[in-house]
Amino acid sequence: MPVQGIRTVTAARNGVGAFILQCKRLDFHYCDWAGSSRGMVSFLKNQLTAFAKENPQIEIRVSPRPHKHPVIKGHFINGREKAVCVRNLEPEQIFQKANLLKQNSGEKNKRTKKPVTSINESVRGIWSPYHGGLKGV
Amino acid sequence: MRSSLRLLNLEAPASQRSRNLYVCSVCRHEARPRPFVARQFLRHASDSTPITERVRRKLWGTDNPPGLKDPYGGEGVFERKFKRGQSAPQENEPEAATEAAEDAVSEDSSYEPATTWEGLQRVGHLGTWSDLPPTKADAYTSFSLNRRLTKPVHLSLAAHQTAVELSLLHTLKKPLTNICDVIEHEQPVFKLIRNCKIQPKSSGQWDSAVVYPDKETEEALVYIFEQIGGAQEAAAEVATEVAPETAEDAELAEIEAAEAEDAEFEEEVPTTPSPPFFGYRDVKDKGYLDLSLNDPITKFAFLKRFSQLTGHFFPDPVIHQISSVQHVMKHVLAEQNPKPKKLADFLVADASLQSLPNVKIFAKKQKPSHKDEELGRKKLIDAELRERGLV
Repeated sequence: MPVQGIRTVTAARNGVGAFILQCKRLDFHYCDWAGSSRGMVSFLKNQLTAFAKENPQIEIRVSPRPHKHPVIKGHFINGREKAVCVRNLEPEQIFQKANLLKQNSGEKNKRTKKPVTSINESVRGIWSPYHGGLKGV
Repeated sequence: MRSSLRLLNLEAPASQRSRNLYVCSVCRHEARPRPFVARQFLRHASDSTPITERVRRKLWGTDNPPGLKDPYGGEGVFERKFKRGQSAPQENEPEAATEAAEDAVSEDSSYEPATTWEGLQRVGHLGTWSDLPPTKADAYTSFSLNRRLTKPVHLSLAAHQTAVELSLLHTLKKPLTNICDVIEHEQPVFKLIRNCKIQPKSSGQWDSAVVYPDKETEEALVYIFEQIGGAQEAAAEVATEVAPETAEDAELAEIEAAEAEDAEFEEEVPTTPSPPFFGYRDVKDKGYLDLSLNDPITKFAFLKRFSQLTGHFFPDPVIHQISSVQHVMKHVLAEQNPKPKKLADFLVADASLQSLPNVKIFAKKQKPSHKDEELGRKKLIDAELRERGLV
């Protein structure tokens, strides 16, 4: 029986076979009275329908939050929540914030130190002092 | 040395001083308590004239400058105080003089003390409106009927009536706002107006836009509208021409006038308020909507009359935008159905948003209890709370 190599299958990753949006729900909170919600109210009146049509996979909830600044809250499938305060923002800016949450992974923000990052294991493996040739001191 | 300075007696008297012990003048001055004003006097102690007088003289360039003797306010407080203390016994003279003057006043033969307030000059009245007795102009008569019509039926009736009235006045070439003198027509007149139709000839012209149902109506309305506006003036003229010459005639006229006033007074107190437009329903004719209001005089007259009939008033920006009767009706009807003040109401009313399956709109603030309810654990929580006796 000839020797057979191990078959490699493409690792399951989001976006390789299918892409599942990480954001599952967006809550839009506004205040009827406060002036800081002016942009939010305008966004909800004029742009929410188009935004909701574009993103049928995201549940959208609109509810008042009296006497508080307007907030967009994103719920992600990893169980985390992210909230963005959109006080005094224009409808266009609020649209950008909603897109930011929509495209977010829901993970905590991390600082990227290296120019290239990979989730693949290193080909060379982890260095060990007990292996490899001994170096003369 | 000035008299005021002499009064102060700044140095200790010679009798109090010990003759053996020599004390210099400066120390003697220091030993005495003195008012701070004394410094001022000391400074000019050697001068016979005060510094203010010297400055005046210098300014004018003469030894006898014009003006008051001391234009700088006279003596100071302390100066006057010291002077008063010195010259107390001499004050009797001016008092005697004032008493003499008072006596002279009281000896005036024409003076009689008043016993009542009548005939006395009124003090404290500045002739303001509130102090004066009421006049005819003070009586308030309302411009409108003091009612605000809300039903679309009544509003269209009012607009139609206004349109017919104004186009009639246009045809008769009379001032348009004269119609506001007649707050409400009699029922037969209103019926005639209601039967008329409006058919603007071209581009919403008002002239001869009225279409009468028959000749009689036309004649009656033209006759009635001829009287409007000019009626009061004509009546006044007639009254002046036929002025009662004899006293008897005058009395008769007064009695008649009083009777007429009584009759008016009785009419003004109806037992029940009449229904608007005598209970008439909507007008079928919609031709009045096409009438143009581009002419500012016509627009003003229309809005004034319409406001009088309906109780709806128009803000300036709206008046500026209005260009036809249709706009007026649109504005008034929109006032009846104001836009929702709450965003939730607006969004719920939005059909396109409601048709989307992924959108949920809440009218109230969502609390943690709502989340419990949504996840199906609210019942459990309630049951547990009841069991423990906490609810």
